[in-house]
Amino acid sequence: MSHVAAIVARCQALFEDLNFTAAREWKEAAPGRIVVGFMPFYVPRELIHAAGGLALGVLGGGDQLEVIQGDAYYQSYICRIPRSTIELGVTSRLDFVDAMLFPSICDVIRNLSGMWKIMFPKVKSRYVDVPQNFSDAVGGSFYVSELGELRDILARLAGREITDDALRNSIAVYNENRALVREVYAFRARFPWKAPSAEVYLLMRAGMVLPVEEHSAMLRDYLDATAREERPRRDNSRVVVTGAFCEQPPLSLIKSIELAGCYIVDDDFMLVNRWEKSDVAADGDPLAALSHAYLHDSLETAAKYQPDQSKKGQWLIEAVQRSGAEGVIFASASFCDPALLERPMLQRALAARGIPYIAFKFAENSGQMQPIREQAGTFADSIKLWSAA
Amino acid sequence: MIHTAGIDVGTGAVKTVIFAVDGDSSTWLVRRTDRVRQRDPYKLAEESWLAALEEARLKPEDIAYVATTGEGESLTFHTGHFYSMTTHARGAIYLDPESRAALDVGALHGRAIRIDERGKVLSYKMTSQCASGSGQFLENISRYLGIAQDEIGALSKQGDSPEKVSGICAVLAETDVINMVSRGITAANILRGIHSSMADRLTKLLKTVGNVEGSVMMTGGLALDEGLVAAMQEAMAQEKVKLPVRNHPDSIYAGAIGAALWGAYRHHRLAAQSDPAQSDLARAA
Repeated sequence: MSHVAAIVARCQALFEDLNFTAAREWKEAAPGRIVVGFMPFYVPRELIHAAGGLALGVLGGGDQLEVIQGDAYYQSYICRIPRSTIELGVTSRLDFVDAMLFPSICDVIRNLSGMWKIMFPKVKSRYVDVPQNFSDAVGGSFYVSELGELRDILARLAGREITDDALRNSIAVYNENRALVREVYAFRARFPWKAPSAEVYLLMRAGMVLPVEEHSAMLRDYLDATAREERPRRDNSRVVVTGAFCEQPPLSLIKSIELAGCYIVDDDFMLVNRWEKSDVAADGDPLAALSHAYLHDSLETAAKYQPDQSKKGQWLIEAVQRSGAEGVIFASASFCDPALLERPMLQRALAARGIPYIAFKFAENSGQMQPIREQAGTFADSIKLWSAA
Repeated sequence: MIHTAGIDVGTGAVKTVIFAVDGDSSTWLVRRTDRVRQRDPYKLAEESWLAALEEARLKPEDIAYVATTGEGESLTFHTGHFYSMTTHARGAIYLDPESRAALDVGALHGRAIRIDERGKVLSYKMTSQCASGSGQFLENISRYLGIAQDEIGALSKQGDSPEKVSGICAVLAETDVINMVSRGITAANILRGIHSSMADRLTKLLKTVGNVEGSVMMTGGLALDEGLVAAMQEAMAQEKVKLPVRNHPDSIYAGAIGAALWGAYRHHRLAAQSDPAQSDLARAA
């Protein structure tokens, strides 16, 4: 087995382990450690790290979990991630988690935070509100206050003070991780045949369950190993996949898109790994630095409010240009309100620039990939044969 | 001049072709059809590819672009993969430049593809997942009836009182056939009934892809089934679809032909773009 294959095999094992054994073992390895679960698309993980905790990304049950009890809590027109997350909870797969953070992504996840409080009263549940106003005086002061509250909650949970120094250190640790994540993405955009998207996806998923330092070492290792590995380059079309920032597509969907003749050169899977676009200031007031990064230096997604309508979709066009993509695939979870409501506006922005796109929906347990292959395959062909370039 | 290869990995057979392409002119050098017959199709495709190279007296590195289609995207030695509709469309134009639709009838499903004079897909429709309108179903029934595959077409044309089978579900269709056998319906009428049902479905597909201005080229494994072709002409007359339905002795190669020719096009296009990474593209080494 090559070194790349060994890294990917480790990531795959972590991805498939719905009992989160690695995180359990980390917690048991030393007394006083806490594990804080969080849902997509973003939480300030630095606060958890500074509390001596492990930030555990909970991204639903995927296609390996049979949802039995979770379905009882939601109507049929609600997406699958809250159902499978509840299933993870009621089947004791998350019984080692000390707190759960529910970011402001949509009504469903907000309501899930309330349900979690009722269903798991011993677990500290917190709805993480983020600013909708992007001025420092209004949204900034609000978010600093929110971050302060969260810091107090985590400190009480961990039984230790979260000092500014500890927080600044955590920011630096995550800055390093984000820089490596950006490097992996840049490498894939440049050499997509050397870093297949299924591999990159698993690598990023590993960051959801491993301590950040271990994940950074893994990213460094992968970059080094995959750059040296010879792999055949195919005549594929280069695409950006967008719309999957919350409920994750099955791994087979990502593989199907690439098998159908597309190289995925950018995506929005697990945005939390690279939410801040550049280093967060690791000096000065750490809460102000985190707030400033959210307001002025973070990625865009449908779940983040964009007050200037003229800028709608600009980030997607920039992603296309930055990655040298030839088209966009909108892949959104069924019933994902933020993604599906945003899509027409994004499509309009692409159409105005003559950037081709297709769209389809999935659920985290989608099993039938033939329609996806058909759409992605014909899209790749149309780019290769009929695009103006 | 360059050489390109097209490999169409189908459910029933692997078709491999090699072309010599010089500007707009192309010369067909090699064609091979290898029936899968419960073998590993990918291993078979590799064997077929090596045999085709030997026949053409070429080495893998002589081939500028190895294009796969059908289920061939997992072959390790391909340069690029094209979806079946794209390749059948191009193959139909190669076989008959007047084609403005391709009707691809393979082992697992049927597709109606409306195309323009360049072989660009304008619209398409395909049968659902159910195999009742497919070559695999026809092959199964003929085996149950003890009829060799190459006898199906001629025998079907002898049918004078066919009964149609279910066009929705292969299980229901097989039940229909069992009932017919028990009622003493002749094999000729059973086969013609199946062909008529398939033709009805395919004609409806053709009607849904939009206004076709030209002829319809049948491609895929069943394109040369004369019973199906006759049933198609009958069904189209009944549905008042005034389009000539044609086939070609090389219809079965349409996908592989299209792949090889699109591969040549891509090779030239990438070269024209002076893509610095063009030389890195996977070769069949």
